[in-house]
Parts: sequence; structure tokens; C-alpha cells
Amino acid sequence: MTNDVQQMTGKRAYPPRKSEFTQVFWDGVAQGRFRTTKCGKCERTSFPPKPICPHCWSDQVSWTDLSGHGVLYSATTVHAGPAAFAADLPYRVGIVDLDEGMRVATRILDDTKLDEPVELVALAYEDGPLYGARRAPADK
Amino acid sequence: MGVVAGAIVRTNDCFQIACVTKKYPIFFMLSDLLNAKSRILREYLQVRTGRVIALPTYRMEGVRLNENVAILGGAASPVGKMQGVSEDGIQQLEHEVLAKLVVEALADAGLEKSDVGSMIFTLPRPYTQQKYFATFMANYLRLPCDGLVMEVMGNGMTPALAFQTAIDQVRLGRTKVALALGVNFETGTPSAEHMMSSMRATGDVDFHTPFGFTPISWYAMDAVRYIHEHNSSREDIASVAVKNRRHAMDNPIAQYRKPMSLDDVLAQRPIVEPLGLFEVPGRGDGAVCLVVASEDVARGTGKPFVRVKGEGFYHEGAHQISEMPNDMISFEAAKIAGAKAFLNAGISAKNLDLAEIYAPCTIVEILVAEALGLCPRGQGARQAANGETSVGGRIPICTSGGLLSRGHPAYVTALYSYFEVLEQLRGRGGARQVSDAELGIVCTELGNYNAAMVHVLEAVA
Repeated sequence: MTNDVQQMTGKRAYPPRKSEFTQVFWDGVAQGRFRTTKCGKCERTSFPPKPICPHCWSDQVSWTDLSGHGVLYSATTVHAGPAAFAADLPYRVGIVDLDEGMRVATRILDDTKLDEPVELVALAYEDGPLYGARRAPADK
Repeated sequence: MGVVAGAIVRTNDCFQIACVTKKYPIFFMLSDLLNAKSRILREYLQVRTGRVIALPTYRMEGVRLNENVAILGGAASPVGKMQGVSEDGIQQLEHEVLAKLVVEALADAGLEKSDVGSMIFTLPRPYTQQKYFATFMANYLRLPCDGLVMEVMGNGMTPALAFQTAIDQVRLGRTKVALALGVNFETGTPSAEHMMSSMRATGDVDFHTPFGFTPISWYAMDAVRYIHEHNSSREDIASVAVKNRRHAMDNPIAQYRKPMSLDDVLAQRPIVEPLGLFEVPGRGDGAVCLVVASEDVARGTGKPFVRVKGEGFYHEGAHQISEMPNDMISFEAAKIAGAKAFLNAGISAKNLDLAEIYAPCTIVEILVAEALGLCPRGQGARQAANGETSVGGRIPICTSGGLLSRGHPAYVTALYSYFEVLEQLRGRGGARQVSDAELGIVCTELGNYNAAMVHVLEAVA
């Protein structure tokens, strides 16, 4: 399952780091594919992806696909931000509860209201990927 | 003796040292060990200096570990702008500010310099010029210590951790008197630059920070969710700022003391929606010194003091959020830490006369009041608007003016909270005095209340 990839101009304001482990996630995002880790022992998922399951501390984890669909739990518009984000102000950030029962924090790209369905989209900046959430189309 | 392992174990109401030798397990009382160590220490000092060292007797004795601990005195600078920049020419220096408070706090406690055996400092901000501040101050104050001299750090909880560590030093018998103290200088650094650092503390730098979450953006999302779930309003939530300003007007060390109406609050520019400028904390410099002592020392002074009657701490094992969807605005850590502190103190929330809550934003005070059981779920904002949490109301909250008006020099903020309760419980609250105040609570946090530390404090005349 892949999600939309939106082309962005310029570079990311505060790029995330990549490890050998998390680059699998970020390389997937670049292609509109959202994945995280699932534990082979307790079968629970976690986010962000981790080489150790935070629930049972097993290292038997593998990658699992996420739908990228969920609902908006909460959000705020930031009007005063850190120096690196000055050019983005004002911008909206929020918390999304994915259909898989997982909570993620991300940029909110529109004025979606709380408890309304959203979808994750990949944001392809010139220096690498990020992601955001926007109102999910009614037919999905 | 060939000890291969050792541990401190608790049996009934005392601690013992358990050692395992190659052949036998051996138990002995920690107090015996401390006494033995003290004799060795005394002899060692005599050999080194050629004279008998005149230390107070209790600095050389073991102490019962379950001893009651008291706050015996304190001193705090007004919150505001103290830190200068080199272009100013003359500047205030962090250690000069703090040293004066140490002297003042000890006088308030009725103790002498030689009584102090431990100093627990809050870690200064990275912008503070003097590094390795604790050991620098040990020299500046020329204070040899048997107990720990250290700096602690835990974001907004930093001062509470310093306070708890000072309590623990007394309770462990490492000293009879400890200082919990610190100075927070940060106003020489602009806010946008400051936030470049603080945003890395309140989120995952790889999975939150890149989206632009700021420390207070999390609280703003609490407010949005609270309004959504409880049919509350920005107006009711904002009334907390008005109430706290009214308290601060009567607090001579508060940073913001001009009268302020609800309309004034609502008219401010948005910072993190729905919160405007007066619903989020300003930035300030501050310094506080508290004197913590065993209860027998406190009684010996003949002065009124405050007993640490109950303690509770809980970390929910999440950083801002975890991937597990939860009820974010129930502030589970505050609920559990509060319940533990109440149980420890043998009281319930309804016994309290006042509460100082670490609340960087209006909404946070409401959510903590609900989590601690001071207000029913979903009604904290309405009750604040109705005056139930004002001085003279059912349960006065943040009589100091709180973080919004007393001020928020973050790494020492909670020391101001303990100081306020100390003053209130000694009847020194002036025009903001809560009548017949006997039991108070201080609640502090880190993250989006991912952890909470609660102290129940009791007046002892």
C-alpha cells in the first residue's frame, strides 16, 4: 500500500537523522510507503520503528506496513516557533491515531477537525522526506 | 572479610546493609556503619589537621532513615530579568545572586553555616557562564560537605528533583541539614534561539522535532482536546490566567503584577492556538535556596516549620506521547503520583488547604487539578472561572501567581512553588494568605505531564 507523495520546494527545516535501522523507514516514506516495526514475540507494533520491542524488549522485530489512515486526535497552530521554523510560521501540528491502533505526531496540512478521518502523505523535500496528514478523501 | 556482594535492604522500619562474604551472609545496621565511619572520619581529620574538628555532633552521627524531614527556611529572588549581556557593561552574576540567598535562607531557618552538610543544585541553563556550578559554589561559599554536592537535571522537574534529593540526603543520614538551591539565568538569550534547544527536550528529535513541535504546542493540543471533549471554552480556560494574575499582584517577588482582565487575556496575539501570549509562560531569571533538615533539628530551632508529610512520583513510560493511544488529558502520572502522595501522607485531596501546581499554560493547571482530585473531571475550567480556585475560594491554586504571573525561570520554578507553600504554611503570605492553611501540596512534572512528583506539606507550629 502506498500513499501520495507531495513534491516540496526547499529543504527540511530540521532534518531527522537516519540510522542503518531507521533508514528503512525513511526510504519507504520517500516512496509513499509507511512502515513500522512489529514484534515477533509479543506481536505488538511500535512507533517510531525500533530494533528492540519496547513492550517486551525482544529483538525479534520485523517491518510491517501501515495504512496511513486514521483520525485526528488533536492539533494546534504554532504562531511562535524556534528559529529553524521561522519561514514556516504559522504552521499546524497534530496527533493522529492510525487505524492500526497507533498514535503518531506530525505536521497537519489543512484545517481538518478533531476526530475527522485523515491520511498520511509523504512530503518529498529537496534534501529528503518528511510526512504530514491531511483530510482523507470521502471514498477511502 | 572477602565481601563478594552487598546491598541495602529494608526490614520492618529500618534499613540494613547486607553483605555476602565467601562463607556467610552478614547483616548490620546502616546506623552502626555510619557511626563506625564517622569515628574513622573524625580520627582521620584529627590526623590530617592535628586538631579536633569542631563539627556539629549530628554531622558525625548516623541518623534513623525513616526520620521526618522538614523545610525550615528559604529565600527567593524576585523573578524577572537578571541576566545581562556583555554589552551592558555591568552585569548580575549568578553566583553572587545565589550566595546572598543562601545566607538569607539559613538565617530564616535559624541555623549556622556549619550545620549544612549537603548542597543539591539545579543544573543551570546552558547559557549560564559558570560551568560545574555546584563545585564552584562549594568553593565560593567555602563549605566542606559530608553529604552530596551535585547538580540535578530533569527539565521542568529539575527543582523538584533537587528538593527530593536534599530530602533523601537527610533521610539517608548523610547530613542533618541540606540545601536545595539553584539559579536560572536565561533572558540573555532570545526566545527563538532558546526554543531551538527546548524543542529538543520536549519531543523525539527525529520523529517529533522535524515537524516543528514546540514545548507548549503539546499543552495547546491538550487545550484543544479538552474543549472538544468537555464542551469547555477558551474563555473558561483563560480565566486561570486572570486568577493567577490577581494572586501575583499580592506577591512581591512575582514577575507580572499589573492588573489584567479576561478581555486583556483574550485580546493577545495567538502563540499556540487556542492559547495567546498571556496564557503561556513568559521567560524569566530567578534563584531560590531552601533549607531542608531533619525534624529534630527543625524542632531544636524553636521556629515554625513545614513537615514533608507525603511524597509520590510516577513516570508513565512515555515521552510527550507514545504510540499507544491514550486519554492524553487525564494526566495519568499526576493522578498516580498524587494518589501515592496522599496515601503516604494519610490524607485525601479534600483535606488540602492550597496547591501550587507546575502549570506552564492555563490548561495545564486545570488538567492537574482534575488529575489530583481537586476538581471533578471536565469541570476544572468552569470552577476556576467561578472563583473556586482563587484565594478565598474552595481550594486556592497557585497563590504565588503560578508560572504565568509569578514567573517561570524553568530550572528553579518548582523551588518557588515549595517556597510559596512554606510561606503560606508559616502564615507569611501577606495579602494572599490562605486563612488557617495547614496542609499544602506541590505538584511538578516533565514532558506533557509524562511524569509527576507530588509533595504533601504540613504546617508545624
